[in-house]
Amino acid sequence: MKKTMVGIAAFATAGALVLAGCSSSDDNTTSPAPSATGGASAEGQNITLWLMGGDTPDALRDYLKTEYAAATGGTLTIEEQDWGDALSKLTTSLPDSENTPDVTEIGNTWSPTFTTVGAFSDISDMYEELGGASLLKSFVDVGIVDGKNYALPYYFGSRYNFYRKDVYEAAGVSVPTTLQEFSDVTKKLTTSDMSGFYIGGSDWRNGISWIFANGGDLAKQGDDGKWVSTLSDPNSIKGLQMLQDLYKNSSHAPVGEFDSTPWVNINDNESTGKPEAATIIAPGWAHWSIGDAAENDNGDPINVWNDEKNGVFVLPGVDGGVAPVFAGGSNIAISAASKNQEGARELMKIIFSADFQNMLGQNGLGPANLDYASSLGDDQFAEALRTSAAGSKLTPAAPGWAAVEGSGLLEEFFGKVNAGGDIPALAAEYDGKISALLNG
Amino acid sequence: MSVATSRHTAATVTPRRKRRPVLPYWLLIPAIAILIVGTGYPTAWQLFNSFREYGLAQQFGKPAPWVWFDNYKELLGDSQFWAVVLRSLVFCGVTAAVTLIIGLGIALLMAAVGRTVRIILQISMLLAWAMPVVASMTVWTWLFDRRRGVINYVLDMIPGVDMYRFNWLAEPLTFFFVASVIVTWMSVPFVAFSLYAGLTQVPEEVLEATDLDGASRTQRLRLVILPIIRPVMSIVLLLQIIWDLRVFTQITILQDAGSSATEFDLLGTYIYKLGTGSQHFGTAAAASVIVLIITLIVSGGYVWRIMKEDSK
Amino acid sequence: MNRRRGRRIGLSILGVVLALIWVFPVYWMINSSFLSNRTLQRFTPTWLPFGGSMRNFKAVLADGSFFNALGMSIAVAAVTVVFAVLFAFLAAIAISRFRFRGRASFVLAVLLIQMLPAEALFIAQYKMIASVNLLNTVIGISIIYVAAVVPFTVWMLRGFVAGVPAELEEAAMVDGLSRSRAFFKITFPLLMPGLVASSIYAFLQAWNEFTVALVLLTKDESQTLPLWLRGFIQASATRETDWGQVMAASTLVAVPVIIFFMFVQGRISSGLVSGAVKG
Repeated sequence: MKKTMVGIAAFATAGALVLAGCSSSDDNTTSPAPSATGGASAEGQNITLWLMGGDTPDALRDYLKTEYAAATGGTLTIEEQDWGDALSKLTTSLPDSENTPDVTEIGNTWSPTFTTVGAFSDISDMYEELGGASLLKSFVDVGIVDGKNYALPYYFGSRYNFYRKDVYEAAGVSVPTTLQEFSDVTKKLTTSDMSGFYIGGSDWRNGISWIFANGGDLAKQGDDGKWVSTLSDPNSIKGLQMLQDLYKNSSHAPVGEFDSTPWVNINDNESTGKPEAATIIAPGWAHWSIGDAAENDNGDPINVWNDEKNGVFVLPGVDGGVAPVFAGGSNIAISAASKNQEGARELMKIIFSADFQNMLGQNGLGPANLDYASSLGDDQFAEALRTSAAGSKLTPAAPGWAAVEGSGLLEEFFGKVNAGGDIPALAAEYDGKISALLNG
Repeated sequence: MSVATSRHTAATVTPRRKRRPVLPYWLLIPAIAILIVGTGYPTAWQLFNSFREYGLAQQFGKPAPWVWFDNYKELLGDSQFWAVVLRSLVFCGVTAAVTLIIGLGIALLMAAVGRTVRIILQISMLLAWAMPVVASMTVWTWLFDRRRGVINYVLDMIPGVDMYRFNWLAEPLTFFFVASVIVTWMSVPFVAFSLYAGLTQVPEEVLEATDLDGASRTQRLRLVILPIIRPVMSIVLLLQIIWDLRVFTQITILQDAGSSATEFDLLGTYIYKLGTGSQHFGTAAAASVIVLIITLIVSGGYVWRIMKEDSK
Repeated sequence: MNRRRGRRIGLSILGVVLALIWVFPVYWMINSSFLSNRTLQRFTPTWLPFGGSMRNFKAVLADGSFFNALGMSIAVAAVTVVFAVLFAFLAAIAISRFRFRGRASFVLAVLLIQMLPAEALFIAQYKMIASVNLLNTVIGISIIYVAAVVPFTVWMLRGFVAGVPAELEEAAMVDGLSRSRAFFKITFPLLMPGLVASSIYAFLQAWNEFTVALVLLTKDESQTLPLWLRGFIQASATRETDWGQVMAASTLVAVPVIIFFMFVQGRISSGLVSGAVKG
């Protein structure tokens, strides 16, 4: 019996190793695609574009498909990926020539990671043609490795505050102009049923604004090129203390909650008729979900913005002005393993064309090319978007940043801080954990 | 699985089968082939890579350096890893035991009631089993929701009990209680169906004989029925242990609704965070191998007993 | 007699109560699928779907992607059930009707394989299936599913086959039937409950599986139902998740399983009724 067992095991292992050998040789056939200066044309190439989440409206998607067909005669297929699953799909599909998307949207916080490992094609030669210096600099920077461009901005968003004018008026407070005033005002507004400022305990994407506003940062790159986490930096600690107080005094949100649907709290609650929050901070596109309950022509429930009750303001800085908020948005890149480099480059040209950039703006998505930023319009949302985006900051462009996000360490850290923990001790502990991942 | 007959069959092999049988090997080929292809290769890959440093860079072509036992040392030296292991063992033990007891109870009930009630029970179990995990997790998180949940609503109605806005997912203890309830709810149908199928094999005349002997219901259960279905029970319990030790989907969805801090991790989510989350695939592979070893240790006794029963 | 009757009634009531408890979340899902997202956000639960509508169902079926995913899921589930049960059945016969060298090792292997950790396997599974160009195909994903289901199925069927003594076949052969005729006429029907239970298990594994499908089925047109369902949970820039639609979509995903069960359910009991194994 033992002999046979060894026999079976040996057979299985041999079989497995043979198969392993077969596929690993496939790994090496993801040859870097030639840059298409001259050579093959994009004529008739069918390509695939991956978009993350539902941010790009259908009208824009249809535009891309039509334009691409007109330009090359080929078909553009657009596939939408759920943000939550995107990381595993990108990890398996991007290296595989047969199945990689030709062009893909990539979250700006993930750009450094994927760019560093060589997932994308070098498009430095297209940089000027696609917009050059007019493109949003901070986003361009996270797509640069060794001075070459691999990923360029796709659209930017930003975060600003939404507040209930009626609640503020009733309490006799006005919109705060400094960050400390913000804490004071919201504390005053807070009752047992209503948060003056609703922010989830583990919401780091909004929480980091307080670190940034006080001059701190999440990580920095040393002279030796190595990244270290800087939560223990004195300015960061100052910001975290401010946040801890704010959370304790102004927010009834659970300590474990992230930043998913804050707008639910600022609308009048169905049962009580009152809002659960007087102020929230959310990405610009949230305004579509804020307002009075109503029904559209199809009978679907929608929210209609009510200027008497709803208002916006930008998070104020420590000394007035504007606080640096988390810069939302995505980059876009061509997969290095794609066999349709020419078709992919055609699509990039269409995306960065004046018409498409204007369309982005008209739909509330900040265009990558700031020359077209006026297409965002003039309403209060566009103003707030422009103002807050101007000062916004990105997460560190460290190679391992996607791993930091994927591991949930920041959610954990902020959760513990807001639960009332010892900030310097926690900061030191998490600096250790995060630094370990930062350099990839 | 009838007590005397299979043993009898095995012993009195007819003469024509005394020569080395070839047929069984042929019969085994399809199963062995699919297992090697579907399970063998991925597992060998994982074992292989647990000894290498394999991250995102390696996915894109960079060679993977051999680090031998470094991944393992890193994990085994991490106290958080051990906390997760301990938590998983406790969770698994409690949930598997409760699942088996309830499942057995329901199986016995199915056998004891009339046809209509049995079908009602079976349909209900099947509906619960068939419900997509995403849907059932959504419903369960709603039921336990601090603001809108039915559970808080109903419990709050009991005088003296204040469950207003109680957040079940805020503390690890209540979090895992909810997780255990959900996993039990999802696992019981499988256990009930399997044990019921086993119960249908208990021979009528054996049951009649116990009645004639005047045995009480509990005696009949303990001394006759349980031994007969022990093989099914063993395998079902073994599977519950294996699955509950590595439960992932339910925990991760609960974490999305609650908190995803490491205090709320079990082995499944911990390994996932290592692999897909931080792209440390080599370390994740090492963690998986460690989990395999733990599973072997925990279930070793069972496996040995099953093998013994089988060779009778 | 009254005692027994009373006991019977008591057990029946218990059975119905348990059934109701177990089915409550399913009821909740169906109930919610008729309600609007706004109603579902209310703090007081809505117990009955009066005042609800079919709007969610219409919305969810609107673009036809459901039917595509349904077709894919049915194909994958059918292939998985057929091959898993077939392969497992053959193996079960081998290990319970015969004694041969390597038998015990195979049995041990079957047990151990189920312990193999699956969490970080998706990269290897992707590479393997991609290397033979079987991504986005029914066959590709079925290979993984069949392999996942076979071990337990072998075990379950082995018990059933062992429970049907070979003497029965031999008796029939004495009567003049060939071995295979005897097998199909006598033994096979008695294995029905086991085959049905295994089929249900295999079907459900294939029907509801998500993580492997996510990685191996990358294109929209080759999605199975769980992936299709996942798409509804995603909140996007311009809308939040419509939970009424999610529940409607989930109900649609669960319905074919009910139909499948209704179809095979009769077989379990007929297998039992005709089953005078011992007499």
